[in-house]
Amino acid sequence: MAAYIIRRTLMSIPILLGITILSFVIMKAAPGDPMTLMMDPKISQADREQFIEKYGLNDPQYVQYLKWLGNMVQGDFGTSIVRKGTPVSELIMARLPNTLLLMLVSTILALMISIPFGVLSAKRPYSKIDYGITFTSFIGLAIPNFWFGLILIMVLSVNLGWFPTGGVETLNTEFNIFDRIHHLILPAFVLATADMAGLTRYTRSNMLDVLNQDYIRTARAKGFKENRVLFKHGLRNALLPVITIFGLMIPSFIGGSVVVEQIFTWPGLGKLFVDSAFQRDYPVIMAMTVISAVLVVVGNLIADILYAIVDPRIEY
Amino acid sequence: CSGSKSSNSSAKKSAGKPQQGGDLVVGSIGEPTLFNSLYSTDDASTDIENMLYSFLTKTDEKLNVKLSLAESIKELDGGLAYDVKIKKGVKFHDGKELTADDVVFTYSVPLSKDYKGERGSTYEMLKSVEKKGDYEVLFKLKYKDGNFYNNALDSTAILPKHILGNVPIADLEENEFNRKKPIGSGPFKFKEWKQGQYIKLEANDDYFEGRPYLDTVTYKVIPDANAAVAQLQAGDINFFNVPATDYKTAEKFNNLKIVTDLALSYVYIGWNEKNELFKDKKVRQALTTALDRESIVSQVLDGDGEVAYIPESPLSWNYPKDIDVPKFEYNEKKAKQMLAEAGWKDTNGDGILDKDGKKFSFTLKTNQGNKVREDIAVVVQEQLKKIGIEVKTQIVEWSALVEQMNPPNWDFDAMVMGWSLSTFPDQYDIFHSSQIKKGLNYVWYKNAEADKLMKDAKSISDRKQYSKEYEQIYQKIAEDQPYTFLYYPNNHMAMPENLEGYKYHPKRDLYNIEKWWLAK
Repeated sequence: MAAYIIRRTLMSIPILLGITILSFVIMKAAPGDPMTLMMDPKISQADREQFIEKYGLNDPQYVQYLKWLGNMVQGDFGTSIVRKGTPVSELIMARLPNTLLLMLVSTILALMISIPFGVLSAKRPYSKIDYGITFTSFIGLAIPNFWFGLILIMVLSVNLGWFPTGGVETLNTEFNIFDRIHHLILPAFVLATADMAGLTRYTRSNMLDVLNQDYIRTARAKGFKENRVLFKHGLRNALLPVITIFGLMIPSFIGGSVVVEQIFTWPGLGKLFVDSAFQRDYPVIMAMTVISAVLVVVGNLIADILYAIVDPRIEY
Repeated sequence: CSGSKSSNSSAKKSAGKPQQGGDLVVGSIGEPTLFNSLYSTDDASTDIENMLYSFLTKTDEKLNVKLSLAESIKELDGGLAYDVKIKKGVKFHDGKELTADDVVFTYSVPLSKDYKGERGSTYEMLKSVEKKGDYEVLFKLKYKDGNFYNNALDSTAILPKHILGNVPIADLEENEFNRKKPIGSGPFKFKEWKQGQYIKLEANDDYFEGRPYLDTVTYKVIPDANAAVAQLQAGDINFFNVPATDYKTAEKFNNLKIVTDLALSYVYIGWNEKNELFKDKKVRQALTTALDRESIVSQVLDGDGEVAYIPESPLSWNYPKDIDVPKFEYNEKKAKQMLAEAGWKDTNGDGILDKDGKKFSFTLKTNQGNKVREDIAVVVQEQLKKIGIEVKTQIVEWSALVEQMNPPNWDFDAMVMGWSLSTFPDQYDIFHSSQIKKGLNYVWYKNAEADKLMKDAKSISDRKQYSKEYEQIYQKIAEDQPYTFLYYPNNHMAMPENLEGYKYHPKRDLYNIEKWWLAK
């Protein structure tokens, strides 16, 4: 197992390199540069040139990339252009924990809700419960994140006052774990909905497949309790494809969090990513790309490791 | 929740005696970048700087220059030098006194070769700054320019030399002072900046114009306008510049009042004179005549704005008193006739005007994400269709659009855009022909007489005379119609119902915040 993890980690290096090269080229191909969005329109030509010089934007692109890569490998992501010399690492470290927390909680939430519902659906296919769950899942899939989030804020926060309207904690208070959880519920739930719906559907259909297998019939014939048949014999096998899907879903968690963070004023990476893209803040965009890419690669690695846990036949 | 939620909703009109206390939670879409006016260029940073630091002068709500840190300012050498005496006993937040040394230090930074900020153009006319006494400073200019007295003095936050004096100027922008522990001499002290969340400020007991009434100001960053409106309704923020699309909703919220007034900006259509279609003044005049600006304001904006005729805000002292510039009021028939006089007729009967075998057809661009401008582009398309002009609309992402319209590309036919005006009116940068090749004159406007007037105005320091000169400039610009001036938009400031002492300022949302107070 350890050898496998090391091998996979080494294999991900060329993948990450490829991602950064591609991102760099695409980013540079976008029209405009960080200067076009600087607020003071009276910037003189001399100031402009000085600025371009300062950030090395005059160099050929491959030189710019190699310089960036060299610094990045040494852990230096450079300084933000638009945010006037703020170190990129500082910008990111102030936000990354919030994004990771939101992603983690919403992932757990999605799994905790969708797997039991999927099993329940499969247990009595074409029953009222099944139709109810199917119907709800499709609504979950169809609802746009930002709209659902705003509706929840309007109804549950503004009108009923049950939840805060946004942020990670109440202003002007000391750290309080319950307050933090209170703030986390709505954004995590909204972020989880779309994936919840998908995962429920996958779990259901895989469960149905498995439950029709001979060994399930054998298990039932042996007189095992239904729950044991469902969860020990059925679910474990049904989960294998779900894990694959789940690994593939991790990038969508990152993308989805951009919108949810914005709506819930969640101080995560999302807003920074969007702003930097619009403002062509190259160093920040590149750093964010690396982080997302690493998250995706790590996510897939975790999915593969989970395989081995769920399926004893698989050995690395 | 937040400390300042007004418990008493029935705040009487009685201005009464100012009361001390409370927290104002200001909502902002943008997040500040750093708190040093020599480097920052965004509104959020400027908002905070205005609370943290003091400035030699202040531009009041009528756009008049008032002394602030300066005790007196004397103009010398016919405007080529200024002698500034500063107030005594002003203290930085760390207790050290602010003296002429700090003023000289601050203004010397942008004059240095090592200065790499983007505010250099503000200080272009400044030759030198020297200390004349402990509380007296002499500024010398390279040439006369009203922008020094009116702009540079009121936008330069005085920095503490005793903290930054030893920092090499090349490293000043990245110094931690700007983001982690700014120390100024303004009405509020820096307490904390939680990135992506809020900036917290607290009252400065030793402020030289008296302690502010508010105990604290929390500047909350809310990137999404819809979310900000929800937070306003829930009372999580209580001061916010509400977008025009939402202010009618916000008016119904409890415990809040909304002050609506003109913003210091205007929206226009720029006609690119590099394009043959718009070279002829007559054609541009006809285009303006074909556009029903009243109905754009009443329909697209729901009446939330005022029709514009010149590139100057009615709020400014420089706005001509009895305005009789050419207006080209809406008149479809006349527009057609004017175009016919310019040689544009529909000779082949396809419903589109033509001249020398060329169709009158062009692309109207605007930036993505501004719903009002997108709507205006469509209305313009409809209205010009009526007189036989084919308009294609194109919505372009902001950075891409700026790149397209900037020199040396000028890649547009016409565009719906807006300008935010400076508190000191100066049209040189936008309409002078020297600004075509490298400047903001994207539309290639050129009028020799206007050029001369704008250049001459730069050396006039008397405001009455300045206005007289500008009346002529505005006449010429209105006659030439390099832009079709559309309208002046409104600002909508939402604030607690019991907030007293508030004065609307068209440029600074938090102007005079040290004099605001919450009635209990």
